[in-house]
Amino acid sequence: MPEQSNIKPTIAVHKFSSCDGCQLAFINLGESLISLAQQVDILHFAEAGPVNTDATVDIAFIEGSVSTKEDLSRLKNIRENSRYVITIGACATSGGIQALRNMQNTNEWIAEIYASPSLIESLDKSTPIKDHIKVDIELWGCPISQQQLLSAIRSLLLGVLPKEENDKVCMECKRQQTVCVMVTKKQACMGPVTRTGCGALCPHAGRDCYGCYGPSENINGHALANRFQGFGLLSDEIARRFLFINSNAESFKQEGLHWKNESKT
Amino acid sequence: MKKNSSIKINVPVLARVEGEGALDLTISDKQITELKLRIYEPPRYFEKFLEGRNYYDIPDSVARICGICPVAYQMSASHAIESIFKTQTTPWIRAMRRLFYCGEWIQSHSLHIHLLAAPDFLGFNSVIEMSTQYAKEVNRGLKLQSLGNDLVALMGERSVHPVGVKIGGFTRAPDQKSVDDILQRVIEAKQDAIELIHWLDSLDLADDSQDFVSVALHHDLEYPFNEGRIISDNGLDISIDEFEQHFREFQVEHSTALHSLLNGKPYLVGPLARLNLNAQQLPDEIKNIMLSLQAQFPSKNMFHSIIARGIEIYYSLLEAEQILTNYVPADQAYVDIEVQAGTGYGCTEAPRGILWHRYDLDRNGCVTKAIITPPTSQNQGRIEEDLKNSLINFGLDREKQALQLHAEKVIRNYDPCISCATHFLDLKLIRNGRTELASANTSKQSHSLFNRFSHVDLLETAIVGIGSPQPNDMHGWQVIDALKNSPLINALETQGLSLIKLDRPGVNLINSLAAYKHVLLIDAVKQPLMNNSFILMDAKEVQSSKKQISSHETGLIESIELFVNLDLSPDNILIMGVSRIDNELIKTVEKLFENNLHNN
Repeated sequence: MPEQSNIKPTIAVHKFSSCDGCQLAFINLGESLISLAQQVDILHFAEAGPVNTDATVDIAFIEGSVSTKEDLSRLKNIRENSRYVITIGACATSGGIQALRNMQNTNEWIAEIYASPSLIESLDKSTPIKDHIKVDIELWGCPISQQQLLSAIRSLLLGVLPKEENDKVCMECKRQQTVCVMVTKKQACMGPVTRTGCGALCPHAGRDCYGCYGPSENINGHALANRFQGFGLLSDEIARRFLFINSNAESFKQEGLHWKNESKT
Repeated sequence: MKKNSSIKINVPVLARVEGEGALDLTISDKQITELKLRIYEPPRYFEKFLEGRNYYDIPDSVARICGICPVAYQMSASHAIESIFKTQTTPWIRAMRRLFYCGEWIQSHSLHIHLLAAPDFLGFNSVIEMSTQYAKEVNRGLKLQSLGNDLVALMGERSVHPVGVKIGGFTRAPDQKSVDDILQRVIEAKQDAIELIHWLDSLDLADDSQDFVSVALHHDLEYPFNEGRIISDNGLDISIDEFEQHFREFQVEHSTALHSLLNGKPYLVGPLARLNLNAQQLPDEIKNIMLSLQAQFPSKNMFHSIIARGIEIYYSLLEAEQILTNYVPADQAYVDIEVQAGTGYGCTEAPRGILWHRYDLDRNGCVTKAIITPPTSQNQGRIEEDLKNSLINFGLDREKQALQLHAEKVIRNYDPCISCATHFLDLKLIRNGRTELASANTSKQSHSLFNRFSHVDLLETAIVGIGSPQPNDMHGWQVIDALKNSPLINALETQGLSLIKLDRPGVNLINSLAAYKHVLLIDAVKQPLMNNSFILMDAKEVQSSKKQISSHETGLIESIELFVNLDLSPDNILIMGVSRIDNELIKTVEKLFENNLHNN
């Protein structure tokens, strides 16, 4: 970041294949959005107004996954023009829910939805940004929270890299003294393998975590899956627990595909 | 030469600006000859990957279709699946679902009014600019938006992709303290909403009345959120199960969103359609406010949509107040369900209009087929129809800037939402075959590398990008797009320079270039060019370098040879063969033309 100078840091918010929910972390800032706009220059953020796709910036935020060939050249351009690239949300960071198509034949799908499939341009797979360019910071979550976003921006404004949250949701439940839904209700909770950052919302509301913040570090997915089996879940049900919002995240993918194959035998 | 010749200029598929919308507009001899709202948000195949998933995954899955209206997706899906399971929910659950929906309408409408639409009517580019002069209004809007978000989170734990919904109800009932706190804020916000309505009514909205059909849910006892029959103002009155017999989705070439028609014709869904059809269901308090407005409903002026949004915010606050005031915590916030096979339909009023779902489940409760018809695909036909009418009413001979702003206003007014955000528009206006683009500021640089285009008459000068909608053949178009972002090129455009895109022109190239004496022709080159991103060559040298420039081998080179030989070609053609687009390439083009910049 430009320190000790009057030049305001510049940011851009780019959208790829996504639902816009992570951009809402900015838009829902309310008054903080206006004050953020006073601290930094927002050069590109189509949904909020400013448009300049080729702006050179200090921080580029990227929402969404890569799903067309044209996305690739856009990404290179963004990387060349940005000092820090931060992916926001599951789509940009792991490929998102639409990466579920990676295990299918996309062309067949297009043919079933669209009458003239040849007009639809789309790659076989939905992939995360890091598969194509260097990413400096990843913010996981579907969607990311305002706190994650603000703390990342503030850290960078202060000249340090943001601290990465990769505790498991279980840790957050313990801190909040939330009753464990897996122990008390035998729910197939993904908390033991999922990264925290959401505030353990689901167990707090009395339901199972479904992994929308993606895998935490060093997970033991297999042990958890075995426990799910003990609850009576069938192999394909276990597979779908791992293959959901972050199906393309490596450790979830491995565990999920294992059970998916298991269900075929 | 050939003054009236009609020049066909195709705009590239790739003009997918940030996954959002683009508009193609051609005006020839004071008539609109081409008008397309293009939506190129890449498809995400939700309907397909829902197949095989269990019913309990559906609310969490479909929420991800839209970050701005996840509640609508969760509600339509819940109702559809519960109808298959023949689940009878309780009055408590019904009331809580309406409360949940109130939150979504308040946040989504406030967001649209203040961040997306109002800057148009007040002459700003963004809410950030607008906030300097309209601090009170912007703060009021942001406060309402945040109250809406908190109402969603009261039932759903968070406002984007809520986690509190399950088939059969909610995972838990909110505690009394949270309810009391938010009730207080709802009561306080009512005055803000009334002021908002009057402020919206005082805006200088264009009067642009048109004939169109409104379609919305209708419920005898209430203003519609979750339940009702689908009605229209031309006599339609059907149950939601009959939707497919009257509404058809079809694919159009220029959009990844399927278009939907009612009996073969475009129609309107959303706040204005709802209000036009359901004003009688509103409480007297709101009817009285409506009587005091300049805008009267039912209305055929599409720009009254923004006032309808304001009215619906106020309605949602009154409804939320009533539900929260009567709130009693429930021991269990859901009813138990019995999984069974079948087909079910759900249709609820998303902020942008009816959102229709159909699911086929097998006996394990797994999806075998899903069909989702979102509001924006229903409105797309209407938007194009509206654009045509309102631009004609506005005057086709107006300044390019004014036409562009008006077109953007018309589109934004619908709050289109394909993956929820097509709020920026890249307008390309072609009038009598000449491309005009929006102007920007000037900047200047010195020095020139090449002098072929220094001190030319810009009115006789064009930069022409050649391509086709194949991904590896778009460089010509992409360079034109990139040049649009160059302040220098923009400035030159205001002084007469033309930027043109051509789709495989073949021998028609001669017509396209007839008006120009100086042309820079940009085309993709198949072979990689060592370390360079491009090569420049004189058209007259082209014959000898034929093998190097070849992506349009059946057309471009032969055509130019022909023109040169027939002496029909413009005096001055330079060809730029492009293998990839980088900053150096753009800078080179800028340098070629920079001497022509006049400081006015």
